[in-house]
Amino acid sequence: MEQAIDASDGELARAVAARAPGASEAAESELYRRFAPRVRLYGLRHLRDEESARDLVQQVMLLTIEKLRRGDVRDPDQIASFVLGTSRTMATTARRTDARRERLREAFLAPDAFASPDAGATLDLDRLEHCLAQLVDRERSVVLQTFYAESSAAAVGADLGVSEGNVRVIRHRALAKLRACVLAGRQAS
Amino acid sequence: MTAACASPVADERLIDYWTGDLPADDGAALEEHLFSCAPCSARLEEVASLAGGVAALARQGRISGIISRALLNRLQRDGVRVRQFTLDPGETVPCAAFPGDDVVVTSLHANLAGVRAVSLRVTGPGDTVFGAVDDIPVPAAATGILWATPGAFVRSMPSQQLRLTIRAADDAVLGEYVLEHTHTEAE
Repeated sequence: MEQAIDASDGELARAVAARAPGASEAAESELYRRFAPRVRLYGLRHLRDEESARDLVQQVMLLTIEKLRRGDVRDPDQIASFVLGTSRTMATTARRTDARRERLREAFLAPDAFASPDAGATLDLDRLEHCLAQLVDRERSVVLQTFYAESSAAAVGADLGVSEGNVRVIRHRALAKLRACVLAGRQAS
Repeated sequence: MTAACASPVADERLIDYWTGDLPADDGAALEEHLFSCAPCSARLEEVASLAGGVAALARQGRISGIISRALLNRLQRDGVRVRQFTLDPGETVPCAAFPGDDVVVTSLHANLAGVRAVSLRVTGPGDTVFGAVDDIPVPAAATGILWATPGAFVRSMPSQQLRLTIRAADDAVLGEYVLEHTHTEAE
């Protein structure tokens, strides 16, 4: 497959399954390029840890490619569903491992010993700090309680004396402001 | 293939998904879409990146403004080095931030019974306005407010007297406080 980048997900999966000489390697690379970021996001969302998310990417993509090569994926056109299903299964296992790791960490290690090394790595944190300071206080509170303290909209609402729906509106508006401010900084530099 | 998305997911829904505020069934359906849609997946990546950046800043104590008691507890649990000053109305307290202090939190006690929102005004020498925060929500049973400032910023401030005033929505003064700040950053 010479132009893997233009192929659909299903075409790529079929190319890997067919193991055509010179084609499957490019197809495998392109599948990895497309799905690895999505699996990482899934991992971050469900495991809340960069290291665990990266482990999940490796495990899921390895298994996906192996199954495709062996012809064990029944419908290559549904490769996205296959990758998602595999991510769900493996994340469940990883959560159990993480829970065990968390218990060990609480017993033996300092609280920040497992802090994610990559959090915010692709962002200009100085710029984001400036942008965060520009938000009105209520927006900043909602953003910090949501994304740092990981409180639900209902919990944030109870804390601030506003409705859950109102928290969602504030949160959306604040995030839009942060995004615009960070982008403006990128364009200016 | 990065074709445009035929049915883009609304930003609010992506944020709700990321924060866990979407019902489980909706979340599962959204994941099906995200795994087959590069544009929506890329937009979720933006949300995740900003969220991760905000958390990283907080872990470094680089936050300012009014914070909740829950947030302060979380900072301390995460090992953020918090220097805290506590003042009752009418009180004057010497303050400074030292190397290693990530964030300075000033805890201002006040009688907030029946008050739903307050404002905080901080003035320096010559009544220069140093900071002003309006419409600070007051949870039931609150006994004061917490004002956070990054340690690096406090260390860089010159020695000076700061006057802090909490007012109710009707402008009634609920508490006045004085911080005698000492500059600590090496020249």
